[in-house]
Amino acid sequence: MEGCESTEELCSNSLYPCPSVLLRVRLLSERKMPLFRYAFSSMGSPCEIQIEADDESIARAAALKAQAEVARLDEKYSHYRDDNWLARLCASAGSGQAVELDEEAANLIDFAAALHAQSDGRFDITAGALTKLWDLQSGRVPTRADIDTARAHVGWHRVTWRRPFLSLPVTGMRIDLGGVVKEYAADRAAEICRNHGAQHGIVDLGGDLAVIGAHADGSAWLAGIKSPRNPQRVHASVELAHGGLATSGDYERVMIVDGKRYSHIVDPTSGYPVESFASVSVLADSCLVAGAASTLAMLFGVERGGRYLRELGLPYLTIDADGRAGGSRAI
Amino acid sequence: MPRSSASLTALLTAAAALLPAAPSPAAESDESNTRASYRFSEYDENALNGPVIGDPQRYRVLSQQLDVDTKLDGGAWGLKLDATHEVMSGSSPWFVEPDAKGRPVQVLSGATIRDHRSALSVALTQGPGTSANTTYTASYSAERDYRATAVGVEHSQPLDAATTLGYGGSFSHDLLRPTDAAIYGRIERATKNTASAFASLAWVLDRDSVLQAGVQLNLERGFLSDPYKLFAYGDQVLPEQRPGRRTEAAGLLRYRHSFARLDAALHLDYRYAQDSWGLTSHTLEASWYQSLGNGWRLVPSLRWYGQSQARFYAPFLIAPEGQRYYSGDYRLGTFGAFSTSINVRKAIGRWEFSLGAEHYHSAKGLALGGGGAAVPALVDFTRAWAGLDYGFD
Repeated sequence: MEGCESTEELCSNSLYPCPSVLLRVRLLSERKMPLFRYAFSSMGSPCEIQIEADDESIARAAALKAQAEVARLDEKYSHYRDDNWLARLCASAGSGQAVELDEEAANLIDFAAALHAQSDGRFDITAGALTKLWDLQSGRVPTRADIDTARAHVGWHRVTWRRPFLSLPVTGMRIDLGGVVKEYAADRAAEICRNHGAQHGIVDLGGDLAVIGAHADGSAWLAGIKSPRNPQRVHASVELAHGGLATSGDYERVMIVDGKRYSHIVDPTSGYPVESFASVSVLADSCLVAGAASTLAMLFGVERGGRYLRELGLPYLTIDADGRAGGSRAI
Repeated sequence: MPRSSASLTALLTAAAALLPAAPSPAAESDESNTRASYRFSEYDENALNGPVIGDPQRYRVLSQQLDVDTKLDGGAWGLKLDATHEVMSGSSPWFVEPDAKGRPVQVLSGATIRDHRSALSVALTQGPGTSANTTYTASYSAERDYRATAVGVEHSQPLDAATTLGYGGSFSHDLLRPTDAAIYGRIERATKNTASAFASLAWVLDRDSVLQAGVQLNLERGFLSDPYKLFAYGDQVLPEQRPGRRTEAAGLLRYRHSFARLDAALHLDYRYAQDSWGLTSHTLEASWYQSLGNGWRLVPSLRWYGQSQARFYAPFLIAPEGQRYYSGDYRLGTFGAFSTSINVRKAIGRWEFSLGAEHYHSAKGLALGGGGAAVPALVDFTRAWAGLDYGFD
């Protein structure tokens, strides 16, 4: 009793029983190890690698190696370039000639082929012509004839894929691996950071996240999932101790014509956009699997996509067109 | 691990060739599962200046604290143990007498007090590091004339993922057995119970900032007077008398903002409290957490506190009118205080060293609005501390 310094001390001490909810949100100040952040731009997105390390030189070296790997993948798989194997493949489309793929590209094509099968044809890396047709800036709905013309250039089932040889059957057909490469690159970047001595960190490639390792004190990274209709706002925050988080959605890319809403998610089997979630986020042991699960759920639409996510059993969060959130208990 | 459904197995099989051999999450969370920290601090009150009777040297407290923080059951539970030992010495304000002109003269306890306090607390958290977690706490503190036992529970629950609800409660039972009770006519044995409940909401405002708002209710029942304080009541000097109940309601706001480019964070806290004794208080605190690279961290803080006096506070009563409650304890008067502190931390591998100091100055003029009766025994103090942390495998 005599030990009490003042009423003030008593009062302010009574603050401490308050719950530590704030501490869960990890601010810089509460870290035990300094954090180094490396921002860059790749794959058409803002990217960042964050690494906690005692020594800045280790963090920087790891981040630079990882960044170089992301740049390599961007160059190799971008369908905007005219000097990579994809450009050669497109140039040879319809000629009956096959292009020989290396191990990594073949693995990616195998993965895309498996997703095509698992989504009953909805996930299709040849769907570029359709997606382009539903150019959402134009503000008009394509005619049935336009859609049929585009569909003539679409269809993975028409492609000849005999590993490692790939040939496209129709002139004008294109391959777009954008739906898997960014997530794959995030996993690769995280792995390269680990191989270069970074133990605690996270890779963010335009919202696709891969954990290098949990925070130095073992706690999880906290990721904010933006609200699809109001990207300034964080709709949810998710804890990531390992693995990856990927989000698919039609952020700001919705067209409304005559009161009907068209998303940018086109189902190549029908040729029309899918009525789906505004966004789907999935947590998995890798960003690649998280990305595939969220993309497939988007393509399946609200009802089947919801069932698919529940069946997968991975932690997920969905936000529907009206901004309502749904998801597994784990998020 | 999620259960492997047929669709998940299909997805994982398809991805297998592209996936790195990822380290298992269990292996990662095994890192530094246990942290131990030791802290030593010295608290020194400045000698009283102004008219005093007795030794103007005031309190000095040396404390040592050992914390161990570990995970149990593969990380499903967090256990925190805290042991504290303090040695207190010095004299403390006893009562205030009017001099011939009615001006207050502080009388200090003649004999130097020497006591020590030992305390142990345990906190067990279910699901540490997850969004929904529950913490159970228990603590026991003992000194020669005082025993305190407390238990508590708190829970945090995400509502819509950007919002987290926290709530909880605690109960404490204190037993007082003042020394030299027979000689000084003090109460020989008394008890005091405190029940607290609180609730808070925290919002993640954006990537860099969080706001928390909370309310708290404290109910105290029992012997709430300080058994060592006397009061000049007319011609007599009597043990002070405070009501046997006190209800306090408080509201608090906490704001945290990180500045990624500066590698720094700002913490702003405000607390308002009002109690049934008529005492209102405001606390405003700002801290800046700055990382300096190479494991160095600097945290300067500023804190202002202001309170208005309890209804029954007076330094003394020259002509009492049958007041039931009276106390001249400076801690119940109107005053304000300003404190500045700095903390430096340096991490080297598994070790972290910290050094800090605080200076606290209180004065009537620092209170909001001023007014109220004279408070002659206001304290100024300095506190300095040093500590080290170690993270085990």
